[in-house]
Amino acid sequence: MPCQADGTERSRSAALPSQGSDTPAPRAPGQRRKPWPAELTLAGALAILMAALSLLRPNFLNLANLVNLFRQISINGILAVGVTYVLLTGGVDLSLGSVVALSGVVAASFAHPHQTLPFVPVLLGIAAGAVCGAANGVIVTRGRVAPFIATLGMMTAARGLALLLSSGMPVSNLSASFTSMGGGSVFSVPVPILIFLAVAFLSWVLLTQMRIGRYIYAVGGNENAARASGLHVRSIKMAAYTLCGSLAGLAGVVLAARITTGQPNAGIGYELDAIAAVVIGGTSLNGGTGGVGGAILGALLIGTINNGLDLLNVSSYYQQVVKGLIIVGAVWLDRSKHRA
Amino acid sequence: MSRIHSGSAIFFSAIFALIGCSGNRSTSGGPAAGPVVGVSLLNLSNEFIVMLNRSMDQRARELGIHLIVNDAQRSAERQVQQVESFIAQKVDAIILNPCEVEASAPAVDKALAAGIPIVNVNSETRTAPTAFIGSRDEDAGRIAVEYIARRLGSGGNVVMMHGFMGQAAQIKRTQGAHEVLGQTPRLHLLAEQTAEWDRAKGMSLMENWIQSYGDRINAVFAQNDEMAMGALIAIEQAGRKGKIVVVGVDAIADALQAVRDGRLDATVFQDATGQGRAAVETAAKIIRHEPYEKQVLIPFQLVTRDNVARYLSPH
Repeated sequence: MPCQADGTERSRSAALPSQGSDTPAPRAPGQRRKPWPAELTLAGALAILMAALSLLRPNFLNLANLVNLFRQISINGILAVGVTYVLLTGGVDLSLGSVVALSGVVAASFAHPHQTLPFVPVLLGIAAGAVCGAANGVIVTRGRVAPFIATLGMMTAARGLALLLSSGMPVSNLSASFTSMGGGSVFSVPVPILIFLAVAFLSWVLLTQMRIGRYIYAVGGNENAARASGLHVRSIKMAAYTLCGSLAGLAGVVLAARITTGQPNAGIGYELDAIAAVVIGGTSLNGGTGGVGGAILGALLIGTINNGLDLLNVSSYYQQVVKGLIIVGAVWLDRSKHRA
Repeated sequence: MSRIHSGSAIFFSAIFALIGCSGNRSTSGGPAAGPVVGVSLLNLSNEFIVMLNRSMDQRARELGIHLIVNDAQRSAERQVQQVESFIAQKVDAIILNPCEVEASAPAVDKALAAGIPIVNVNSETRTAPTAFIGSRDEDAGRIAVEYIARRLGSGGNVVMMHGFMGQAAQIKRTQGAHEVLGQTPRLHLLAEQTAEWDRAKGMSLMENWIQSYGDRINAVFAQNDEMAMGALIAIEQAGRKGKIVVVGVDAIADALQAVRDGRLDATVFQDATGQGRAAVETAAKIIRHEPYEKQVLIPFQLVTRDNVARYLSPH
C-alpha cells in the first residue's frame, strides 16, 4: 500500500528532469547539499539589475521608491514564502490566487465599519485560507491525488466560493481599522511590509531551526527514506499545505485591506508569480532543496522588474516579453552555476 | 481501499447535494409557458455583467419570458457552443453578450442560419446580428478626457491606464481618449500603461508613476473604475489628494460612493440596467413580430458630485 501511495508523486517528478534523490543522480550531486548558495547568484543578478535601473532612472534607488517596491512585493512575498513549504515537500499549490480572493471576500464580509475589532475579519480570512490548504492536504495525502490536480481543483472551487459569497460583486465599505492593515504604517514602515518580514522571519526559523522544518526537507528529499526512518509523512505534508493555505489567506486579507475591497476576481495568476519567485530563488520543483531566503530574493527580482519597467514607461507589450526573459534567464544562470 | 471509496462516496454525495440546492437560479422555474430566450453572457464574475443579468431577469419576468442564462466565462469558444445548444433546443430568440469581436461572430452566423433571431448586447461582433443594444465605448473615452480638459483649464499632464490590451473596450476607449487629446494640445499625455482592469495593479502602477513623475501628473484617466479606485488609493496614500484629477468609467457602486464623498472626481456611467432591459424588450418585440429598432444606443453619462445622487439609489 505505501508503494502505491508513492506512485503518483514519483510519476509526476519522473516527468521532470533529474534528481529524485532515491534514484542516484551522480550528474548533479551538488543539488542535494548546496556548495554554491543559489541566493548569492541571485543577489548578484538583482544588484546588477538595480544598478542598471538606477543609472536609467536616478529616482529608482531613493528611499521612497524602495519602500514602494517592498510594499508592492509584500503580497507576492507572503505567497512565495507560503508555497515554499509545499514546493519543499515536492508538491505544488495552484490554488493560491483563488484562495487569496476567497479569504479577501471572507475578511471583507466581516469588516463593515460597525465592526470594531479588526482581528475578527483577519482571523476569519486566515482561517478560510487554512481550511482550503488543509483540504488540499487531505486530498493529496488521503486521496492520493497528484498535487497538481488536487490544487487545480481547489483553484476552481475556491474562486467559485468567492463569487458565491459575494454574489459576483466586490465587497466594499470596510472599516478604517481593517484597511489600515493595507494602507497604514508603523514608524513610517507600511504595515504590509512588516507583515511580510514577520512571515519571512518566522518561516525561516521554522524551516531552519525547528524539527518540523528538517522533516519537511526530508520528505521532499526522499519520501521513502523519510518514511523508513519513522517520519509521519502524511502529517508533515498536511502541515505544509495548511501553512501554505493560511499564508495565502493572510495575503488575501492584506490585499483586501490594501485595495479596500474584497474582490472575488482578485489574485488571478498570483500562484504563478509566487511559484516563479520561489523557483528563481533556487528551490527545486522536485522538493528537498531551497528555502525562504531565495523566495524573498525571487519576489524582489520580480517586483524590481515590474517597478523598473513602469518607471521606464516601457510599453505593456514589451514588459511581458522582458519579464519572461528575465525570469528564465535568472534560473538559467543559477542552474549553469550548479553544473559548473 | 474501502476507506478511500467511502471517502469519495461522501465527496460525490456532497457535490450532488450542492447541485440540488443551487439549481434554477436565474429563471422563474416550472414549465415554460411563454417564449424562451437563450442568453450567453461574457462573464458572470464581472460586476457590470452581473448587473446586466439582473436587469434582464427582471424585465423578462415582467414580460412573461423564460430566460436560459449561460455564462461563457470569457471564452468565445464556449460561447459558440452555448449558442449551438440554444439552437438545438429551438429557443425563440438568443441574446448574446459577445466575448470577442471576431471569435464570437460564428455564434451569430449559426443563429441566423438556423433562422433564430439574435440580439447582441453591450459589445459588437463582426457579423451583424438581428439587433444591437449597447453603448459606444469611444464616447466613454471622449467624455472622460473632455471632463479632464475642462477641469485642468489652462492645461496639464495626463496619464492613462489601459484595460486588458486588445479587448474591444480597451481599444475603443483609447481611441476616444486619443481623439480628444489630439484636438486639445494643452493636454499632454505623460505616460500610458495597462493595469488590466485590476484594482491592485492600478494601485501599483499609480505608485510607480508618482515615483517617476511626482508633481508633474495633473490628471489620471483610468479606463474602468476598478483601476481608478486603485489609482485613487495610491494618490491618497501619497498625500496628493486634491492635486490630481481622477476619472474612471462604468460607475460601479464603489466609485459612485467615492464620487459622492468627494474622493473620485468623476466616472462615466454605462447603463447596464438600460442595456439589459432594452435587450429583452427588443427580443420580445422580434418574437411577437412587432416593429423594433435594429440598433439601440444607450448613451454614456458623465457622473460628478453634482449629479451622483441620481445614480446612487437604484443599485
